[in-house]
Parts: sequence; structure tokens; C-alpha cells
Amino acid sequence: MKHVLIIGSGISGMACAVRCAERGLRVTLASPFPSERSQSVMAAGGINAVLPEGEPGDSVSSHVEDTLKGGCGLGGERAVTGLCEHGGEILRYLEGIGTVFSVDGHGRPLRRAFGGQSHKRTYYCGASTGKQIVSALVMEARRFEAAGLIERRLWCCFHSALIEDGVCHGAMLFDEARGGLEAVYADAVVIATGGQNAMFGKTTGSTQCDGYAAGKLFMQGAELKNLEFIQYHPTTLETPQKRMLISEAARGEGGRLFTRADGRNIYFMEEKYGPGGNLMTRDVVSREIDALGGNVFLDISFLGKDAIDERLPEVRDLCAKYGGIDVTREPIPVEPSVHFFMGGLAVRLNHETNIRNLFAVGECASMYHGANRLGGNSLLAAIYSGNVAADEIASRKEEAPAHPDFSGVLEHEKARLAESRDTQSQFPVMYIRDMLAETMQKRLGIVRDEANLMKGVDDIDYYLSIAGRLNYDPNVMPYFNYSLTAILTLARATVTCALSRRESRGAHWRSDFPETDEAQRSATIIKYDGGKYSVRLDEERAYES
Amino acid sequence: MKVRILRQQFPGSAPYWETFEYDGPEDNSVAGVLDYLNYHDDIVDADGKRTTRIGWECSCLQGICGACAMVIDGQPALACETFLRDIQGKEITIRPLQKFPVIHDLVVDRSSIHENLKQADVCIGEYRPSADADHAHQYAAAKCLKCGLCLEVCPNYVNGETFFGAAFANDCYLVASRNRAEDRRIRTVYAEHFAKTCSKSLSCMEVCPMKIPTLASMAKLNRMKR
Repeated sequence: MKHVLIIGSGISGMACAVRCAERGLRVTLASPFPSERSQSVMAAGGINAVLPEGEPGDSVSSHVEDTLKGGCGLGGERAVTGLCEHGGEILRYLEGIGTVFSVDGHGRPLRRAFGGQSHKRTYYCGASTGKQIVSALVMEARRFEAAGLIERRLWCCFHSALIEDGVCHGAMLFDEARGGLEAVYADAVVIATGGQNAMFGKTTGSTQCDGYAAGKLFMQGAELKNLEFIQYHPTTLETPQKRMLISEAARGEGGRLFTRADGRNIYFMEEKYGPGGNLMTRDVVSREIDALGGNVFLDISFLGKDAIDERLPEVRDLCAKYGGIDVTREPIPVEPSVHFFMGGLAVRLNHETNIRNLFAVGECASMYHGANRLGGNSLLAAIYSGNVAADEIASRKEEAPAHPDFSGVLEHEKARLAESRDTQSQFPVMYIRDMLAETMQKRLGIVRDEANLMKGVDDIDYYLSIAGRLNYDPNVMPYFNYSLTAILTLARATVTCALSRRESRGAHWRSDFPETDEAQRSATIIKYDGGKYSVRLDEERAYES
Repeated sequence: MKVRILRQQFPGSAPYWETFEYDGPEDNSVAGVLDYLNYHDDIVDADGKRTTRIGWECSCLQGICGACAMVIDGQPALACETFLRDIQGKEITIRPLQKFPVIHDLVVDRSSIHENLKQADVCIGEYRPSADADHAHQYAAAKCLKCGLCLEVCPNYVNGETFFGAAFANDCYLVASRNRAEDRRIRTVYAEHFAKTCSKSLSCMEVCPMKIPTLASMAKLNRMKR
């Protein structure tokens, strides 16, 4: 029986695990914490699908068209078509495993409008769609755990992949509970570790998602793609510790953005883009808010208490708890924040990276969304990508090559870890992580330019130059200490990609190159080789078509 | 403000109290306080002596993942949604959940919650709803964070070996109501691991960050018997 090691137990990791188990594969599902702690539970607004009983006139081809258009021509047509064609099936699947969707009086799932979409096709569970899907998938995974097909390994952090001659044979995991490093061999490894939010410090995302796995695999030879495309969500609430996401559902249900000038409210999105202005794509709305320099509010109070209580209770509670705002009576002060990463590990249609038997799914993989993601497509892509990878692994007939002996590498890494703990230093790696976050926020904002990006390169190169020379505090989780260099390397790669794309497209906006250049209508691919970063455009479309 | 924390270096080692002086923002949450103590400057105790960084778990920082469950001033709560403005007096005491094995400081191993649900095979399997399904309550029950606060406060829950607590009861309700073919089997495990021991103090409902009305889950499961 084939053995699949899945790193990360959010929605994409669980979807992949369940699908593998359904196909008779044995799965190890490794993550530091249970699925309930994953960033997936924070996905709020909904999941896109075209169902026969959906909005009249809607079709899979409309969904494909909207997704490609939203992605500003960088999403691959074959990949996106596959995603959208499976939307209906995935929605039925989620219903079938017991996801508690919001439903009408006949028990049919409800839809709401979402940004950049020609039809109302975003199915939802209040404003906690991700949480409800996680709850259902946890139960489904549990069924296969009880049957012995899925083994959950908690407290396990990814350390590195076991790669020889371009083939992945498993991964090294650091077990926080047992305090040890171990090699886990597998016929296929699936990375499902989410985006790199923590690289930016305060974002809408989880503190757990830091991009380490993508950075480490990059250093081990995996190619990365489209790193410069970082989605700023237009409506977040600033709090001392994080940016709270005010779901796009608030605008989908009718919420209006305005700014105040000369004592009156100016509904700037509607004035510029017409009645649908509040639901333009996220890149456009974020840029408009950024251009105003603050003083922007989102008003849902006119929807009335009943509608808010019924359809947006999570938005109501979040604003009350963290902002002291009664959304039924007053507007919400909002500003854009880093929210989602369109870039990540480069994968082919079957979700395999350039390293044989190493797959990536969910947000850590770069696929479908091009230069800007549509709301409601990330949950769909998380499940679809997990399914695609599982089907590919299950359908491979050839025997996986025998695993080489990695015990020498394991012993070497164990010794390095022991060395890093054998120190009296008080220097916390978090100080460098904080400096990195400040750099990333400052240099990779909504609008970029070469001079600013070059300062980012200088900053990160400096952090990289000292990262290897410092002794770190042995009292924090070893993960924080061993992960730093790869996170910095990923950050360096991101700024390098942003510098190399000398045009404006989707979420990548350059004030020094404000036009879109059709000659650059291809994905950015970046490769790492011993400290050197080489960037190219994927003009042959090797990765997504 | 003084912050007293019950600490423990590793599983099985002796716990000890340590006091810190907090001089950060007054509008912070307890999660913010822990972060501030750890990384605002070198970490020292209230006497200025160097000490080790405080271990605690966090992910969402907005009350929807359950990672930062701990006991704050005697009350089981999420650190990210407990604010200094709501704390009486000039001192806070923080200790780890006591019903679970401590891994390090405020980090505990709550895997027994999941293991018990797995052992009792509490899974929907296939959606076959009951005719009189209460959708709003199902939505509420499915929001359970598995944070363990309900178990920490429960007078009947000891270590999860026989009585599995409110998190178990709510998942049982969810399965029984969303797959009618499972309701008989689920009611059996529910009776064995919850109903026969629960003394209905209902303290679980008071501390639940998702405000899940567990009493309604119990009533609905009982009603299915008829």
C-alpha cells in the first residue's frame, strides 16, 4: 500500500488525506496543531460553485472567464477550467459530508454576490464558511483515522524534504512533544502549509503560516512562482495584535464603502465604478482605498439588525469584541491588509512540483489565481487541489523507487539542532522576524517602486548575513530557530520577483511601471542555487497549461 | 501591572510560579500581554532577573481557533479575547488548563478530545438529515473549537477516560441530527460517555467562546429517543 505524507492539516491537507484514504492509500497527516487551529477556519465569506439551480444565466464558462479576468491573464486556462468544472461536485461533496451551509426554507444552500464575479455563485455558511468546512472534514478524516488509513501526527513541524536526484522520498519532521528529529519515508509528500502571512507580521492570517516549508523547499531545489502577487484584502479592522478580516460577505450583502470629506460621506467606489463598485476585485478596491490614504469606512448598518444577525453574525461579533463597534448603528473603519498569497510553490496541473513525488496544494501552491484571486475561489481551490494531488498519486502505476538511506543526513541535522540548543544566548529569533515583517510591510505595499524594493533587498540581505552567525535563545521552540534562514530566503525571493516584474498587473502595482505590458503576460518563476536567485518568465507555460 | 504565571519547563517537571511586571498598552488582550512580555525586550521577572520565554499557543488571535485557551484569574478563557480592561485589580494570574497534560508552560496536550471522538467513532459519514433538523443549532454546534475550556470548568470531567464532556456531546448531536441512520448508535455512545455522568452544572455553556448551547444539544438528543 502506498504511503503518502501530508504536511499541514488545514482544508487542503485534509481534503487530500481523505481522498487518498478513499483511494486506499495510507496517509500520515502531520501538523504541529489540530485542524481546528489552522488558518482555514478563518476563511469567512464562501465558496464558489456553479450549480444547475444557481443564478439563471450563470455557467462554468462564466466562472472560468471571471477567474481568468480577475487573475489578469496569468491564470492558466486549463487549470482554471478544471477548477471551475469541479465546483458543483465539490459543493455537493461538502454537503454530503455534513457541512452546515446556510440554507433557504427548502434546505437548499444560499448564495451571495462576491467581488469580480458576473453572477451570484458564492455559497456560504454565515460568515464562517471555512470553520464549518473544517468541522465537516475533521469528522470525515476521523472516519478514516478510526479505520487505520489516516494517522495524525500532532506536534510535528516540517524540517526538510528527503530529496535525492530530483526525487522526493519523504521528509524530516521535528516532533515538538518528543523533542526529536526523525525521517519519515513516503512514496509521495504533499505540502499543504498555507501562505506566508507571518512573514508580514500583522495580517488577517494565522501566526502559524510563515512560509517556512516553501522557503526550505526552494533552498532544496523546488521552483517558486508568482511570489510578487500578494493580495491585500481591502476591508480589515486594525487592532493591537492583528488585522481583523471584515469578510467580503459584508459587501456581498450590500455593504458600502465611503470616505468623509467636508462633512459628507463620499461613496468613492460607486462614484467611480457605478452601482457594483463596492464589489470590484480586491486588488482594485485596495488600491482605491490606499490612494485615499485612510479615513475609509464600511457601512452595513442600513441592512438592519435582523439581516446582520442572520447573515453576518461573525462580522457583528468581531467588530464589537475587538473594535467596540456596533455595526447595526455605526460604520466600520477599514484599511487594506495582506491577506492571501497568489504565489508559492510552482506546480504542474497535477500539483506536482519540479521535484518528482513532491506535491503542493492549497495556498502554498501557486495555481489558478494568477495576479489576483477572486473571493470564494480559495476554499474551492483548497479542496480541488487536494483532490487532484490525491488522484494523481493514487493513479500512478509505477513502483516508487526504493528509498535511499538518509540516516547520515538525519544525524548531521540532529547534530546541528543540538548545537543550536547548546548556547546561553538570549537573542530571540523573533526580533529578526519582527524586523523582516517591518521590511516586508514597508517595501512590498500595495504600490511599489524599484528604489523601495532595492531597500528591501538590502535589508533582507543584511538579515540573511547575520542569521547564520547568531546564537539563538534555546528556550523557544526549536522550530523558530531552525526556520529563520528559509523564511528570510523566501522573503528575498519575493522581493526579487517584485523587482523583476517591471509592469503593473493585478496585485502587483509599480508606480514606476504603471502600465500593463502584454510581453510580460507569463508567470514569474524563481530558482535558487547556492545563494543565487534566477528569475525567468514561464513563457512556455510549463506550469499551468 | 503584575502578571503571575504558573510555569513548567517540560512534561512531568515541577511547576512553579513566576511574576512579571507588565508596562505595555492598557488596551491589550492577555495574548498581547504574553507577546509583550516575551518580545518587547529581554525577558526578566518582576525582580529584574533574567528568565526564559513564556511558552503559549496561538494561531488566529481572534477567538476562532481555540489555541490560546488557559485559566486567567481562575476563569477558563481564551487569552486573545480576554482584555485587560475587564480584569479587576492590579494583578493577573495565568495558569495552563489543568485537565490536560502540560507540554511546556501554558501549552497543554488536548489530543484526548480528538482521541475520544475517534474512539467512539463520532462521524457524520453521509448527510441524511432528520425531518425536524434545527439548522441554527447545527451551525452553532459545528463551531466547536475543541479548545477544552468546557472540560476545564466541568465538575464531572476528570481526565477524559470515561466521561468525555460537552465537546463530545455537541459533536454527538451534530452527527445524530445530520445522519439519521447514525442516531441510535450515537445515542448509545452519548449515554455511555456523557449523559449518565453529566450533573448539569452547565458551567460549560458559560465559558464556551462560541456560546454553544450544549443544553439544547442534550435536550435534542434526549428527544430523539422517542
